[in-house]
Amino acid sequence: MQATEVIKLVLGEGLPMIGRLLLYDAMKMSFREVKVRRNPDCELCGEHPSVKELIDYQAFCNVPLGVEEAEVFDGSAYEMTPKALKQLLDSDEQPVLLDVREPYEWDICRIEGAELMPLSSFKADQTGITTDTPIVLYCYKGVRSMSALQELKKAGFSKLNNLEGGIDRWALEVDPDMPRY
Amino acid sequence: MKLSNEEVTRYSRHLTLPEVGMQGQLKLKEAKVLMIGAGGLGSPLGMYLGAAGIGTIGVIDFDVVDQTNLHRQIAHSLGDLGRPKAESLRETLLAANPNVRVEVHDERLTRDNALELFECYDIIADGSDNFETRYLINDAAFFTKKPLVSASIFRFQGQLSVFDPASGGPCYRCLYSQPPPASLVPS
Repeated sequence: MQATEVIKLVLGEGLPMIGRLLLYDAMKMSFREVKVRRNPDCELCGEHPSVKELIDYQAFCNVPLGVEEAEVFDGSAYEMTPKALKQLLDSDEQPVLLDVREPYEWDICRIEGAELMPLSSFKADQTGITTDTPIVLYCYKGVRSMSALQELKKAGFSKLNNLEGGIDRWALEVDPDMPRY
Repeated sequence: MKLSNEEVTRYSRHLTLPEVGMQGQLKLKEAKVLMIGAGGLGSPLGMYLGAAGIGTIGVIDFDVVDQTNLHRQIAHSLGDLGRPKAESLRETLLAANPNVRVEVHDERLTRDNALELFECYDIIADGSDNFETRYLINDAAFFTKKPLVSASIFRFQGQLSVFDPASGGPCYRCLYSQPPPASLVPS
């Protein structure tokens, strides 16, 4: 469809999608069209434009977050390398291993002995785990599990670790038979 | 400009369409289209444009082919793993139609190279996958007065439009004046 639009413009034939937006939903196999009008207040093509040359798009798209959200959590003290986790799991002091990925990811691969607690429905006060239990969290790359770790920390849990680099790094460094996705 | 005998045969089903015809096919041959992105959108876009006989196709993409691309970025094959996507797409297009000229730009589109690059083409086709690039493309297309054929996709949903303020239409910013908060943007 994109190619057809290019070809129509070159040929000068047909009705190009100028001023129209096509919305396609493959799951519903539905096509919807909405009109798009020129915005007289548009910062680029409006009557009083403020964008008069190319700008810093990285800054433009990194819309500053609210004050609370902007508070950065330094999780480096909680990071545990895949090798260190492997040693811990092989020892007698087994921690509770929490996988905070979503079920479809769990179906692809998982670390043996882990328990699934998806971040999307994660509640730090409903884990059924006592706050002095050693816990290691992991996700795909280690970011989501760090936010679950923060919630657990706020809820009073004291022995927390995060698998650095997530299950993806685990597959690279500890379990080469594990599929990567 | 003239079509070779081989081209006449190749494009014969175009030449017999009243909407295209010889004049139209020559317009396609003279056209210069810049594609941004040689991935999920760029693969079919490039393959159709090349097969249809767009004379000059520019492809800009800084990425290399990864195994996780192959299930949807159909211009790339197993043998292309690790190769620049723009280069891989070029070979796919030329294999189907050696009459087209494919200009590879194995680099990232930035505010420093966008205007100069856009000036070399008649139409811009956006198949990028992030908001920074999408706004950059929109603004650069506006400043160089080039029509922008914009497509985007997320999971099972897609959007398509043509932004051409030079002919009185809206631009991408008229539709989306601000990008979504960074925290809501899927990676």
